[in-house]
Formats: sequence, structure tokens, C-alpha cells
Amino acid sequence: MLKYNSLFMLIISFMLFSCEKDIEIVLPDAKTKLVVEGNIEQGRPPFVMLTKTTPFFSPTDINSLQNSFVKNAIVTVSNGTTSVQLQEICTNQLPDSLLPAIAELIGVNLESLKTFGFCLYTTLNPAIFGEVGKSYTLSIQSGNEILTSITQIPSLVLPNKFWYKDQPGFTDFGYVWFELNDPPQIGNAYRAFTQRKGKDSRFIPVLGSVFDDQFINGLTFDGVFLRGKEINSTNPDDLGETADYFQQGDTIIIKFCTIDQRHYKFWDTFEIAAFNSGNPFSSPVTIQTNINGGLGVWGGYGVSYDTLIAVDL
Amino acid sequence: MKRFWLSISILTAFVLNIDFVVAQNYTISGTIRDAATNETTVGTTVYVKETLQGTSTNEKGFFSITLPKGTYTLVISYIGYKEIEIPIELNKNIKINEKIESTAITKEAFEVVGEKENINTTKAEMGTVELEMEKVKTLPAIFGEIDILKTIQLLPGVQTAGEGNSGFYVRGGGPDQNLVLLDGATVYNASHLFGFFSVFNADAINDVKLYKGAMPAEFGGRLSSVLDISMNDGDMKNYKVDGGIGVISSRLTIQGPIKKDKASFLMSARRTYAGDIAQPFISDSSKFKGSNYYFYDFNAKINYIISSKDKLSLSGYYGRDVFVFNNSDDGFGLETPWGNAIASLRWNHIYNDKLFADFTAAFTNYNFEVKATQDQFGFRLYSGITDWNLKADFNYLPSILHQVKFGAAYTFHKFTPNNAEVNSGDVDFNTGDVIINYANEGAVYVSDDWDLSEKIKIQAGLRYTIYQHIGPFKRFNNDALGNPIDTVVYKKGETVKYYQGLEPRLAARYQFNSSSSLKASFSQNYQYIHLATISTVSLPTDAWLPSTEVTKPQFATQYVLGYFKNFAQNKWESSVEVYYKDMKNQVEYKEGALPKDDGGNNVDNNLTFGKGWSYGAEFFIKKRAGKFNGWIGYTLAWTKRQFDEINEGKVFFARYDRIHDASLVLNYDISKRLVLGATWVYATGNALTLPISRYFIEGQIVNEYGERNSFRMDAFHRMDFALTLKGKETKRFKSSWNFSIYNVYNRKNPYFIYFTNEGNAFDGTLDLQAKQVSLFGIIPSISWNFKF
Repeated sequence: MLKYNSLFMLIISFMLFSCEKDIEIVLPDAKTKLVVEGNIEQGRPPFVMLTKTTPFFSPTDINSLQNSFVKNAIVTVSNGTTSVQLQEICTNQLPDSLLPAIAELIGVNLESLKTFGFCLYTTLNPAIFGEVGKSYTLSIQSGNEILTSITQIPSLVLPNKFWYKDQPGFTDFGYVWFELNDPPQIGNAYRAFTQRKGKDSRFIPVLGSVFDDQFINGLTFDGVFLRGKEINSTNPDDLGETADYFQQGDTIIIKFCTIDQRHYKFWDTFEIAAFNSGNPFSSPVTIQTNINGGLGVWGGYGVSYDTLIAVDL
Repeated sequence: MKRFWLSISILTAFVLNIDFVVAQNYTISGTIRDAATNETTVGTTVYVKETLQGTSTNEKGFFSITLPKGTYTLVISYIGYKEIEIPIELNKNIKINEKIESTAITKEAFEVVGEKENINTTKAEMGTVELEMEKVKTLPAIFGEIDILKTIQLLPGVQTAGEGNSGFYVRGGGPDQNLVLLDGATVYNASHLFGFFSVFNADAINDVKLYKGAMPAEFGGRLSSVLDISMNDGDMKNYKVDGGIGVISSRLTIQGPIKKDKASFLMSARRTYAGDIAQPFISDSSKFKGSNYYFYDFNAKINYIISSKDKLSLSGYYGRDVFVFNNSDDGFGLETPWGNAIASLRWNHIYNDKLFADFTAAFTNYNFEVKATQDQFGFRLYSGITDWNLKADFNYLPSILHQVKFGAAYTFHKFTPNNAEVNSGDVDFNTGDVIINYANEGAVYVSDDWDLSEKIKIQAGLRYTIYQHIGPFKRFNNDALGNPIDTVVYKKGETVKYYQGLEPRLAARYQFNSSSSLKASFSQNYQYIHLATISTVSLPTDAWLPSTEVTKPQFATQYVLGYFKNFAQNKWESSVEVYYKDMKNQVEYKEGALPKDDGGNNVDNNLTFGKGWSYGAEFFIKKRAGKFNGWIGYTLAWTKRQFDEINEGKVFFARYDRIHDASLVLNYDISKRLVLGATWVYATGNALTLPISRYFIEGQIVNEYGERNSFRMDAFHRMDFALTLKGKETKRFKSSWNFSIYNVYNRKNPYFIYFTNEGNAFDGTLDLQAKQVSLFGIIPSISWNFKF
């Protein structure tokens, strides 16, 4: 929410003396690790994408990227009573109704999803669809490697209200505000996404999409959402001074989720790592995965939706 | 147990000594002053011509020599001054208060002052370096801003923290392991502008001494080094004004007598021009209006000679960095003031011709604060440390063969590690209690410089330290996810944790002949305070932390062996030293720890502990005098660390590991008015952690990092020149121009490396590129200095 990094800006000011050049770096060989990107929401099947790490400077063409999908793994999700093995599906085999959810999981827009063709593991067996309050164990066997993780779909916490307000200095651009009562016990964590009708093809995480109640436990407080963007977007909306804002008149669907703490730690460190990249004054941030034996995240979401028409009252 | 016996045997040695000296001996003692200014001269050599045994004056200009009854010639010698010989019939205790006269004025700047000619081969200490301020001022300096800490970095065994940085690392020790003293008071953060400039205004500084080897027992509380800086006393006879106008800052010093030959004062101030540093950046886009950066500092000292036996001095330092950043676009504002406030009161007293003492009461405070606002959100982060310190140091000179020092010190520490306040409108976020830690630290020590025989000299010391972390204090016990399980509350004054330790210090010299010697030293040190760094440079956000029941005191053992040889009538000095240093209970933040995890928590809950070690060889050749003088230093060293919870427990290089580190410093006295200074430095590139592989999460590239600090940037090297041109001198007015060129051959030294990614991975347009940023290219600068 706040730009702690402004100290860095001062140093940048020193860089009026500085210069920059492209360099060639020979990096040592890296051991390949398995990466999990999986989630489960109430009323929806689990989705698990399994990929592997590639050397930093390995080719980036579509074929090489598609080779990073790990196929023929045994992926099982259990809710304590029912255990279901997921099936491997590629997106071109899926009904269109499921694609937005996949797009959200993978973090790409629908177009890329349709052209690129992602492969993932899921099931249509409703016995393992997400339920609020339940914990879900993931286990993956691929070759000799075994990965495990557990996540929970926490009880919902609904914000009291959402509203839009013009940002001082701007007309027709502003943030989405919310008021939340954090429950009395410590350990609540949240993640938020928004989708502007007619503008976004999926729910995009807001800027700094997660927060927990470390400093707000049991409090009623006002918070703010800055608009998130597609990765490396070249959309005119996403460039320039108003990129972080919603626009007056937008119809915004807000997806507000409760998540468990280890799930939160993953996104928190993930976002800080992305934010710090290129900052010489921070050490590399270690992303705190909740996957035993691998990287990535297995996360449960307790989801609530709200629609807000952006009008400054 | 071993340490116990060692200490017993050292103490026994002292007791035995004292029995020996009850013979027919008399003492010659006194104070040596500069005839022109009446200021005491530090390090003046006083020796007996017949036996060549001698001493040098201490920080207060005092000396004392005890000899058997006889007839002697006493020589008082200080380079740059006329030598004095005094015949003495020693059959009673004698007092000698002499004034020495400076020789030709031009000579003072270019000759090495304050050193007995073969002192480096004859003293037992190793790794002690004294900087001559006059010489420092003729060396090149970035933006013409003379900086003693950057000169220190040109010495072997002392590594720089990075380009333009005044932070320094001694023999593999971290920046928190250097004790920086200004007139006896600790300076916790010795840099301005995130390390680009040191807080020491060269005009106010009289003497700088660095101990990097076995620290004498009078010093402690740090593992790696002591940088002992003393401020100018102030002229006892005449009023003087010194000043300088430079590219980024100006300074002014006024000194003079309050009462002639009795009391003097000195005031010195320096300030960077408001916003000049940040302004060019701001002017481009006015939305940053109101943004500014500047620093200033102020030094003051009062000296009062109460009697021939008592002198009182009061010194003070106050400095602040202020950084204001505004961005009207997104309603963001930030203000970060930080700095040191230091005061010390010293009384030195001469009991008799064999015993004199220094009593110091000091206060030091370092504070850092960030205040940020964005829209209705407010954020404040603050940290700091405050010390109250009392010290008594005694010098006892029972005979010419012994110089005994003993004393005691007590410090009360108040630590304020990172505390945060956050609010949204009227709602204050609960960032937990304000956490303040209190601790007592005490020390007693004794040491003896003992001429065992003509060839063997020993400096043996023992320091005993105690440390007590006291309440009020709250210990938060957390679960694996950082949620509090329970809290242990300690009442005010209640002991939370107690530590103690014996620190033996031993240095010995074997003299082959007057120009060569072999030295060895062994030392052990405890350090009860820690600086945990969450980022890669010492930003002022790093907070000082106490030892607690979780964080154990740092402990180091150092072994050094050195060979010292002088050539050509001591005009050339050379030395080789090899060392091994072992450091225990080193701290780092846990992998994945974030600054906000410190909120409402004990910072040490986020720390992890390990060990470090460093070994290497240092080569040094110095030409001490003549038109052409300077030195070459080269260090070959390795510094490694091992933490069970970092880098999967594998050994890794410390960030400040420099395998090769070389420096060349030259001064050439072209004419009486023109001095050329040049420096060249070379250092192995910084060790850093780089991504070795990548993966995608939500379509974003995520880096998977390789082993910690396993990659090296390109080597750092740079040459600087400085030309000092002295203006025509009149009796009343002196001035000089200083022209310097930083990075003469415009080397693009790597400052940091980062990676960019552009395009979209899923349509095949992704492009990854490594980029290297260099900070300073060639920078000419000019400053004008005056004196009247």
C-alpha cells in the first residue's frame, strides 16, 4: 500500500552520474526443481499446474516453454475423507466455461490461454470440489520425486462495504476502498482480485494483493485497492500516470478471498520479490513456498464477490 | 579453564613486576607542547640518548620515563620540529615541560609527522596505523570532500563497502565490528548519505588511529577494529579561521583562546548545499516539488588547563541527514531524518610523575526515522541507540621497561530496534508495543608494555567484561508462522540475561636489529551488540540490537604473525602480516525474513546465527619521507561464513570478501606550492547471489537463486588524482586550491547487476537480459580552502 522504496529513489537520483550497460553473464548449472501452481475454491474443482524450473538464460520460445510442463504425474487431492486423483488435461480439451478460472490461475489473459495451450491437472468429480472450512492435502508423484502440501479454505470474511473515490489531483481516476472488520483471533489473511467488465478478461490480483492481520487484528479499518495489470501489458490503459487507478464509470467485480497463513506467506514474499527485483539495496527475497519437496504454491481460497460501479459520491 | 590460567599467569607477572621496581629509580616526566599554538603534541618521541630507550607522549602530550640514578641526555624529537637535547643529572624526580618549535612551514605538510623513525619495527603492537591529517588533505577525494574513512580504506586489511562508500570492513569483520570513537565517545553510524560521506569533518580532526590487529586491552566491545579519532583542541594563543568551499558542501572552523594559554575553543560546521544532490533529478518533473536532501554537522570543543596537573575538555558533535521526498501525483510523502549526537567530557589528571589518568563521561545517540504518508495512510518507522558511558583509564610507568595501563568502563545502553506505527485515517494499526531494550555493559582491564630484554618486548593485557540485559522487557514466543503463543514479561531492572567473558590480548616482538623485527599476537574479543542487516549495504535502517537470551555475544579469536623491515635509514618501511580470525555467534536475518516481521516482535526472533572466519596476508611498503612519498598495500584474503539455516548450511563467501585488494597512494611535492596526490585501488568484485533458474507463477517470471554470494562481479579498479596549489602566503592569510579528478580513466566499475524481462512468455516474445549499473564515471571537482 505504501511505497517503502522511495529511499531507493534517492539513490536513483545519484544515478545522474551513473550509467548502465547490457552484460553477458555465465551462470552455473542449476538443478531442475518441480514447481506447483495450484488452487482450490469453494464450489470449484482443484486445479494444479506442474512445471519445472529452467536455466535462467535458456531459450524462451514457445516450444521450450511448453517443454517445461511436467506430464504423467500422479496428482492426488484429499479432503480428509475423500481422495481423488486428478486427470491431466490440456486447455484445448476444456469447456470454455472453465477457461477464465484457468486464466486466473495461470495469470494470463484468455487469448494467450487459447493460443498457447496450457496443460494442467484437475477433475470433474464433485466429491473433491472445494468447501469452506475444509483442508486439502495435495500429493504429487513424478518420476522419483514426491511433493506434498496442505491448504485450507478459511471461513469467509466479508468486507462491510466497497466504494470508489477520485484520487486528489485527478478527475475520474481513483482507487477502490473497502471497510473490513478483522475477526478477533489472529491469523486471518486476505487476497483480492478485480475485473473491470469489458476491459479485463479475467480476475487480476490488485497491486499488493495480499495482507494479513499482523497489525490490524480485531480492528475495523479502511483499506484501498490499487488496480493490478496484466504482466508486461502494452494496453494504453496500463501505461502512464493513471495505470494504477480505476476509472470513473468502470463496473468492477471484486473477488475478495480469505486465505490461510502459509498461503499468504507465499504471495507476500512473491510480491516483495517481484517488487524488489532490480533494487540493488535488497538481498534476494526467498519466496516462502508451502510445497514440500518443490517450489510454488497450493492455495485454498474462500471467495466472495461484489460488484461496484465506480462513481465518486 | 585454559583462559583462566592464562589470566592468572598474566596477573602474577604484574604482581612480580611491582616487586622488582622498588629499586633506586627516579622519574623524568612532563608535557610537550607546540610553541606556536601551545597545544599538546601527541606522539612526540622522548628518549635517552645513551641507551636509546624511550617513550612517546600520550594523547595529552604527557610522557614519563623512569631510570636508575645516573647522567643522561634526554632527546625530544618530533618530525617537522626542532629536536631538543637536555642534559640530566638524575638523582631525584624531575619535571620537564618543553615547548617545541616547528621548522620551516613548508616542511610540515610533506613529511611524516609524529612518528619515531623506526617505530614500526620497535613497538610490539601490530596493525596499528596513524593517519596524518595534513597528508590526508592532499589525497584525491570525490567531490573534493576530504574523508578520513576513505583514506582508511586504502590501508591493507581494510576493505571498502563499495563504490563511494565510507563503510569499512576490517579483516573480514562486518561494519558493526568496528569501534569508532570521537574523543572517547562511540559513533554508531559514521556515514552521511547512505555511506557516501563520513561524518568526520576533516578540519575538526587532529589525530586518527586505527587498530586492526590485536586491540590493546583498553579497548573492547568490538571484534575487529578500533578507529580512535580525536578532535583538534583549539589554539591556545591565536584566533584562527579555516574554511573550504567545495562542489557540494562548505565548511568553516573557528578556534582560539578563551583565556590565553589556559583555555581554548574550537567550532566547526559543515553543510551540503540544500538539495543540490537531488535537485537536478527533481527539476525534470515538478511533481516532486518539495523533495530535498542535505546533511550538516557541527563539532565543538572546549579545553581548559586547570593546572599543570589537570586538564578538562568538553567535546560535542551533532549531525543530521535530512531527506524529504514528495510525489504529488500519488499523494506520497516521505521524510527521513537521521544522525548522531555525541558529547564527551574528559578530565586528565597527573597524580605524580609515574601515574596519570583520564576520566571520560560520554553520551552518544544515533537515531533513524522514516515518516511516510500516502493519502490517508501514515507510516513511521524508527530505530536508534543511546549510550551513557563512564570510563577511567590509568597510565602507570613504574620503570622505563614497563608501561602499565589499567582502568574500568561502564556503559548503559538503550536500544530502540525497528519500531513501526501505521495508521489509516483515524484508525491506528496495532503494530505492537514499542520495543526498547536496556543493557549494562562493564569492563575492567590491565595491560603492560614490557621490554623483557633489548630484543624482546611484550604487550600483555587482560580485559574482563560483563553484560546484563535488563528489564523492562517482553519476550514474545511465537509459533512457526510468527503468531504469538505467549509472552514473558520482565520487570524494570530485572535481569533478562547475563554474560561475562575474559579477553586476553597478547602481542610480542622479537627485534633482530634496529631495522627488522618479528611480531606475533593473539587476541580474543567479545562484542555484546549486533547490527543485523536486511539489505546489502549498510543503510541507516539497519538497527542495533542487544545480546539477549536468544542472541549470544559475538566472540572472536585472532592470530597474527608479522615481519617488519625498514630500509635506507628508515626512509622505507615494509611489512608482511598473516592473520587468521575466527568469529562466533554472527547474526543474519533468516531467509525470507521481512522488515515488517520485526513489528510487535523481538527482532531476534527473526534472526539466525552462525560463524565466520577470515584469513589472509597483507603486504605493505611505504616511503615515509622525501619529495616523493606514499605507500603500496596488497591484501590476499578470504572471508567465509556458515549458518545452518542459510544457504542450506553450506559455507559461503561473506558479502565483503575481497580475495585481492590493492592500493597505491602517492604524494609528490612538485614545488613548495604544488603537491600532487594520486591513488589507485583494485579489488576483487563483490560476491553476490544471482538467479540461476526461473519458473512462472501467474504468468510472472520468478527467479530461483543460486548459492549465496557464489557469483562475482567484475573487479573494481580506479585511479584518482588531486593537485593542491597553495596560494601566496601572507603572515595572516593562507589559502589553497584543491583540484581533483575521480576515476581518471573513467572505468565503468560494476555497482550492481540486475535482470530485465520484456515481452510475453506465451507468444514467444519474452526477452531476458542482464544489466550492469556503474555509479561514478570521471568526476572533476574543485575546492578552495583558506586559513587566517
